Amino acid sequence: MQIRRNGKRWGKVWLLLALLIVAGVVLCGCGSAAKGWPGATVADGRLYVSSLAGRLMGFSASDGSPLWLDEEAGTLGTSESGVAIYGSPAVEGELVYLAGYNGKVYAFVAESGVLRWVYPREGNLASIAAGVAVSQGRVYFGCSDGTVYALDAATGDKLWSFEVGSKVWSTPTVAGDTLYVSAFDKKLYVLNTGDGSKRWEFEAGGAIVSPALVYQGTAYIGCFDRYFYAVDAATGSLRWRSEVMGGKWFWAKAVIYDGVVYAPNLDGKVYILDASSGAEITGAVDLGNPISSAPVVVGDKIVLATEEGSVYALDTASYQKGTPLINVQEATEDVAKSSSRMIYAPLSAAGGVVYIKAQTASEDALYAVDVAERETLWSRSLVISEGD
Amino acid sequence: MEWWTAGPVALMINTLVALSSQLMGSFGLTIIILTIIIRACMYPLTAKQLRSSRAMQGLQPKLAELQKKYAKDKQKLAEEQMRLYKESGVSPAGCAVPMLIQLPIWIALYQSIIRVLAVTPEELLGLSRLLWSWPVVYSVLPLESHFLWFNLVYPDIGVAVLVGVTMWLSQKMITPSVTDPQQRAQGQMMLWMMPIMFGFIAMSLPSGLAVYWITSNIISIVMQYFVIGGWGGLARGGASGRELRSRIIQAESTTTAAAGSDIVDSSSTPKEGVDEGEYGVKRQLRGGGHQSSLKSIRRDSGRGKGHRS
Repeated sequence: MQIRRNGKRWGKVWLLLALLIVAGVVLCGCGSAAKGWPGATVADGRLYVSSLAGRLMGFSASDGSPLWLDEEAGTLGTSESGVAIYGSPAVEGELVYLAGYNGKVYAFVAESGVLRWVYPREGNLASIAAGVAVSQGRVYFGCSDGTVYALDAATGDKLWSFEVGSKVWSTPTVAGDTLYVSAFDKKLYVLNTGDGSKRWEFEAGGAIVSPALVYQGTAYIGCFDRYFYAVDAATGSLRWRSEVMGGKWFWAKAVIYDGVVYAPNLDGKVYILDASSGAEITGAVDLGNPISSAPVVVGDKIVLATEEGSVYALDTASYQKGTPLINVQEATEDVAKSSSRMIYAPLSAAGGVVYIKAQTASEDALYAVDVAERETLWSRSLVISEGD
Repeated sequence: MEWWTAGPVALMINTLVALSSQLMGSFGLTIIILTIIIRACMYPLTAKQLRSSRAMQGLQPKLAELQKKYAKDKQKLAEEQMRLYKESGVSPAGCAVPMLIQLPIWIALYQSIIRVLAVTPEELLGLSRLLWSWPVVYSVLPLESHFLWFNLVYPDIGVAVLVGVTMWLSQKMITPSVTDPQQRAQGQMMLWMMPIMFGFIAMSLPSGLAVYWITSNIISIVMQYFVIGGWGGLARGGASGRELRSRIIQAESTTTAAAGSDIVDSSSTPKEGVDEGEYGVKRQLRGGGHQSSLKSIRRDSGRGKGHRS
């Protein structure tokens, strides 16, 4: 009996050890689930944003009051809950478009939030980890299956597709009849919007997830090789590569103002480059925390947000960041304090007001800040409670 | 756990990425090579663990005899057990300690693979925080996720089956043959439970992890082959009871010849249900001395033979 007890004891020890290994391995190393970081878009005095719960919401840009009171408005019409959405909604005419990580593109009526169409109608594409671009009656988006799609904006019918061959995690940029799509395979693809045929491609030194900034015949892109590139929009030839190398990846889309490119980097710095030569105009401005949210130009200020929630208005004359306009981790009148509230979504702006979407793992909030007055106009949680 | 992520996991991540750049960006190949390197570095610990495990199994018959002899005197039993361990050069902690030392390395490697695969945008963004300023590290990411017939990012049923099969082979190799029904049932449960569990886990996680498990299992099989000197439980799998008995007797006679009159008759082994097969017997008796208690064991050994006939 004694030996059996002994054997049992060792058996239990080994069993426990094995279970500990499994638990440790599985629980400690779990990756992050896709939550999304949808930004806000302003159009005609209205603000459109999708929540972490995977629902399109509409608000008055002036006071943050909801546009739609119908419970079904803005819902994706699917049994899936909490569809992750990356990128901001795109608005053209009477429709608002957004793409889901579940591999579907949705079009809603801007006035009512009613779902107009879904693409594909049956099944799902591979995950879509960026926003859509809409122009002249067409919706463009890239997919994780390495394909760029063009849809009819009115009906959701597919017009054409183009095989890139590697993941596309960036929102396409439309300029006239040209579509710019950056991809994981280190290339910037430039396509005809009419039929999806390739005009040219440019290969950088690393993967590209930031959308191209197209300005006065030049496409500007930041890259994973930590360099910033300027490419001739007509021919695809390299105009310059930045002399300076970023500390980490260029993730967010850059902005340009008065011949100067402001390129945010995940090292927490904004690189300030001459748009014509790529030379550094001044030393990078250090915001002290990664910048994954795309900045916006408001007046003569570049508004940037760090992941940890500080929003700065960088002066374009002195290149001084000053004190933060707001820190979304602090409490406002309508949103409670939360040290885990972060900013990943692109910023948007209209009429001197910047709109900021911030989020924790489970809730998100929207802020409207007057840049010139440095004043928070309104803020609100995007979590719909029973009473709403 | 900031230190854990910023330290061991970050080291593993940067090594994985840097190694990948030297292997044409193939992450599958990188996982295999890094697993081989890490397992090679840990070979002394693995070998020690295997030897300790075998030696412990080898001592089971004697421990059983001691427990029987000193059933009513716990203190004396403990003393005799400790003496047996000491004289045999076996530490009861010898199996667990090397494994516990290796455990953090396995977990760090596992977590690194998960992070480098970066399935979601959140994971890719999070990965950037853990990269060091090695020039090659930034430009090579994200890594190529296609390997052989599958995508390392997604589960693959074929790969999951391979995880289960290789783990079963590895476990079977070191599972002692036992005649005691209870121990046999316990051994069988362990033999099947882990491969099935890991097979199921592999079906719900990125295949990159499965590649790590398969590689690790194959390395275990190779190491076990050399450390224990054969295919162990795999070779023994088809042996009939008579073959088993003849091998035990052969092992006993070899041991007796090698160790002289002081050596205990190992025929008590089957009586208590543990078969050492082709290995372990020599080691279990390496201590040699231990006169008084071992002589008493020897006196009882005839009964052990009787049980087996």
